[in-house]
Amino acid sequence: MQKELNKEQIISILQKYSPTKDNILKCLHELQDAHPQNYISKVILEETAKHFKLTKGQIFGIVSYYSMFSLKPRGRYLVRLCKSPVCNMLGAKSVTEYFDSKFNLKPGETTTDGMFTLELAECLGRCGKGPSMMINREVVTELDSKKIDEIINTKK
Amino acid sequence: MSKIIEIQIDSKVVKAAEGSNLLQVARDNGFDIPGLCYHKKLTPTGACRLCVVKIDNTPGLIMSCTVPVKEGMKITAFDEELEQNRRHTLSYLLAEHNEEFDDSYEDEIRPLIKRYNLEKPENRPLKPIWQGIPRVVDNTSPVLTYDSSKCIRCFRCIKACDEIQGKGVLSFADRGISKYIVAGFGEWFNSECDGCGECIQLCPTGAIVEKPFRESLKISEIDSKVITTCPYCGVGCQTEIFVKNDTIVRVDGVDDVSPNDGRLCVKGRFGYQYANSKKRLTHPMIKRNGVFEKVSWDEALDFVSSKFSEIKQKYGSKSLAGYSSAKCSNEENYIFQKFIRIAFGNNNVDYCTRLCHASTVTAMLKSFGDGAGSNSIEDFETTDCLLVTGNNIIDTHPITATYVKRGKAAGQKIIVIDPKWTPLVKYADVWLQPKLATDVALLNGLINIIIENGWIDKNFIENRVEGGMQAFESLKELASKYTPEKTEEITGVSKEKLYEAAKIYATAKTAMIATGMGMSQQTVGTNNVFSLINMCLITGQIGKELCGLNPPRGQNNVQGATDVGASPVNYPGYIPVTNEDNRKKVAEIWKVPFESLDPKPGLTTIEIMNAAYDGEIKAMYIMGENPVVTDPDRHHTVEAIKKLDFLVVQDIFETETTEFADVILPAASLYEKDGTVVNSDRRVLRLRKAISAPGEARQDWQICVDIAERMGFKIGSYNSPEDIFAELAKAAPIFGGITFARIEKHGIQWPCYDENHPGTSTLFLEKFNTESGKAKIFPVDYKEQSETPNTNYPLVMNSGRLLYQYHSATMSRKSKVLNAYANEAYIIINPEDAVKLGLKDGDKVKVTSPRGSLETTAKVSDEVLKGETFMPWHFNEAPVNALTRNEIDPMSKIGPFKYSVVRVERV
Repeated sequence: MQKELNKEQIISILQKYSPTKDNILKCLHELQDAHPQNYISKVILEETAKHFKLTKGQIFGIVSYYSMFSLKPRGRYLVRLCKSPVCNMLGAKSVTEYFDSKFNLKPGETTTDGMFTLELAECLGRCGKGPSMMINREVVTELDSKKIDEIINTKK
Repeated sequence: MSKIIEIQIDSKVVKAAEGSNLLQVARDNGFDIPGLCYHKKLTPTGACRLCVVKIDNTPGLIMSCTVPVKEGMKITAFDEELEQNRRHTLSYLLAEHNEEFDDSYEDEIRPLIKRYNLEKPENRPLKPIWQGIPRVVDNTSPVLTYDSSKCIRCFRCIKACDEIQGKGVLSFADRGISKYIVAGFGEWFNSECDGCGECIQLCPTGAIVEKPFRESLKISEIDSKVITTCPYCGVGCQTEIFVKNDTIVRVDGVDDVSPNDGRLCVKGRFGYQYANSKKRLTHPMIKRNGVFEKVSWDEALDFVSSKFSEIKQKYGSKSLAGYSSAKCSNEENYIFQKFIRIAFGNNNVDYCTRLCHASTVTAMLKSFGDGAGSNSIEDFETTDCLLVTGNNIIDTHPITATYVKRGKAAGQKIIVIDPKWTPLVKYADVWLQPKLATDVALLNGLINIIIENGWIDKNFIENRVEGGMQAFESLKELASKYTPEKTEEITGVSKEKLYEAAKIYATAKTAMIATGMGMSQQTVGTNNVFSLINMCLITGQIGKELCGLNPPRGQNNVQGATDVGASPVNYPGYIPVTNEDNRKKVAEIWKVPFESLDPKPGLTTIEIMNAAYDGEIKAMYIMGENPVVTDPDRHHTVEAIKKLDFLVVQDIFETETTEFADVILPAASLYEKDGTVVNSDRRVLRLRKAISAPGEARQDWQICVDIAERMGFKIGSYNSPEDIFAELAKAAPIFGGITFARIEKHGIQWPCYDENHPGTSTLFLEKFNTESGKAKIFPVDYKEQSETPNTNYPLVMNSGRLLYQYHSATMSRKSKVLNAYANEAYIIINPEDAVKLGLKDGDKVKVTSPRGSLETTAKVSDEVLKGETFMPWHFNEAPVNALTRNEIDPMSKIGPFKYSVVRVERV
């Protein structure tokens, strides 16, 4: 499996965006999503800075400001588990424990096969159907171990 | 001028310009409102919230740094509530702030802590939490250290880098309480930071501090602070030198003074180490049996004067010559040329300007009657269009470039003409990349497009150009041969780009040109500048404010040295040697018989070396120059110097040239001198002695006076450089109104004819300085180079400078800081040529020209065109001038440093 997004691939994505400031975030998201390790690599930083005529520090400032961007490699799928009080009351804690016992995955960690990273998120706004999580852009609600197994299996 | 209005601050009526910054107005009027993020050179930020005031009829507390003043405003600057609020805000800042202090910087936060009685932790409303905040320390830069625990996130450094220096290297990283300043991806050294230190100078809390002397320096125990002119390039930045134990320990920029308004570059701020170097020359030395022996000044002066006299007697006065120096003051150059004209009895005095802007000056003198830049350095910011040709202005004139970058940010159009990529290309609207040495064709092509499209200024041509439309017609006829197609064929620049550049320049409301070594250092150097002038004249982009032609000068006093007469063809103030009336006048000032002054122009730099080679020049006196490295065709130069019967070199260090001297005389450096220099915009600026000269080193002018006296010539008795300047002002009318007293704080731009004359910021507003008062068009054709690439030497080598080194590097390479940035020679090769030659980046290569060869490292980059290469010329171990030829431009006698055919092979 490809581990890096190479320079040519990065440039071909960058070329879709005219180098105006309003395009920077959209462009960075596409680059991060395209990266097999789901993060903003050094090469992405360098090429994006060049494309948008920014200095290295300026692009680093933007990327490090937004928590949705990562400067460290992550799994192909990013699981964001809601840590709000409502989800907690509805059993989010046992969901976290299930990830640990079944997949050996604690919050902030990535599975050894590089497929999944688990993060805790603020309220996802699906309190009525908690516990909830997002897997990349997809929201999954009313979680239990069965549902988690199902969704993980479809991604593998 | 904006309207002057009245406002009230704490019931005191205060006058101010409408719209000016309220905090600044208050402070200017004695209201000491606290504030840490505001700096008068930056746009207001409103981050620290300490400068709060109350404004009548406006609810709440307002940050005064963000308020433009309006007529009738009533301000409360101090009352109990405001002071309470400020105290609380300061306490809040302190909670996140590490107060460790190492005494090496001036801190703006500590006096406030005292003022608000927050010194004792128990007095603070908020308790410290800084220990719990992630701390980022970046120690990778050669010049500074950043410590986030001392940073109050005030934005000053970010704005200093962006708004003042136009670099934008710094940014905030992360968010919220753990926010910190970042350069690059977290490592200062691997960022675009070039070490100018503007952020250090503006940091209010010691979060960014200088590295040199940090361990040993206590800023409160500095012995003296002296304001003088930077010894490096021709911008003439005003610097404040901090001295401890006769050693320079820090250099800051001086605010509110032209040309730099506090800004400095890395050389100016950190390149001072050479002055206190242990390698300085400290005693006179005479070479005996091939070995230099220390001797007394008496012995050295006796020996030098008797040898000069003996050679003059034996071979005649034409057998002697001297090189003056762009690294010496006006007074010293004036005395040196006076020495040559009186004691040697000829006009064989020249200096490195011959290798630099001689062609520019020659063309400008012929066309305009003045050879100096027509505008002020500040104008580089405010003109609508700037055309920069053959001038790597960001590296070679970094502070002039700050004005350019600020201009760009405000909408200025920039055209770059350069065969090699330079950092300015990043800011350019158009970059024309012609093949080397095709400039005349390129400019004629642009002129043709301008004429064809009717973008000429007929009114200007008729009124300000000699011969009016008739002169224009002759240029039109010549330029008509350079159709866009033909020009593209010769230069390689596309028709579209030519059109775009021509249109921007010719149709701009105001346009200025900066021309550099790329234009001047060619065998067609004078023609290159004639072509530029022609374009300038037909578009009328000269003779009014913010328009003109400027050659930024490379060394601290390259302008002044020519102004004061270190020239084989001109007396002080650009009056030709051949002008009898002037010689009479000067003879009277110098108190010498008129007949003793040689009416024939002397030899130029390269002509002097050639005459030495031919055995006609027998003895030379070199003051502060290093021709072995700087003159073209090194092999020839060394042979010529070896043939001399007698060589005296006066310098601050041993150089590649002192090796061949018979006598070495130790001189004072620019930090050890009083006097004046003239910068690129003709500004006469003060030099002030900051430290003592080492050992027995002496002032250059005193050495000249003593040698002359022992040769039997009295060239003047002066008590100080001020006396010399007073005499110079009499001899050179352009300096007539300038005195040391008048330039105590601000320099004056020549011409300044009398004591009431304010000086001249823009030349040629009324008339040109020619006899007719009009400028002259000199149509010139493109000529091919005498040497062109061939099977033996398939590539062409261009050469140039780097930001971090200076000239032959005698001074700059003594600085650890500068060397940390750039200390190695290289040759840039286009990727296509590299493939053909089987070379990779970093390979060791041998570069050979018909004159010689050298070894260096290959750097593969598309900064140069296919078939072309580039080498920085500062490094003696890879001496570019071993490869250049000594063929000269017939009009200006400049050498072609920018064009040599070469062959590159892997070692």
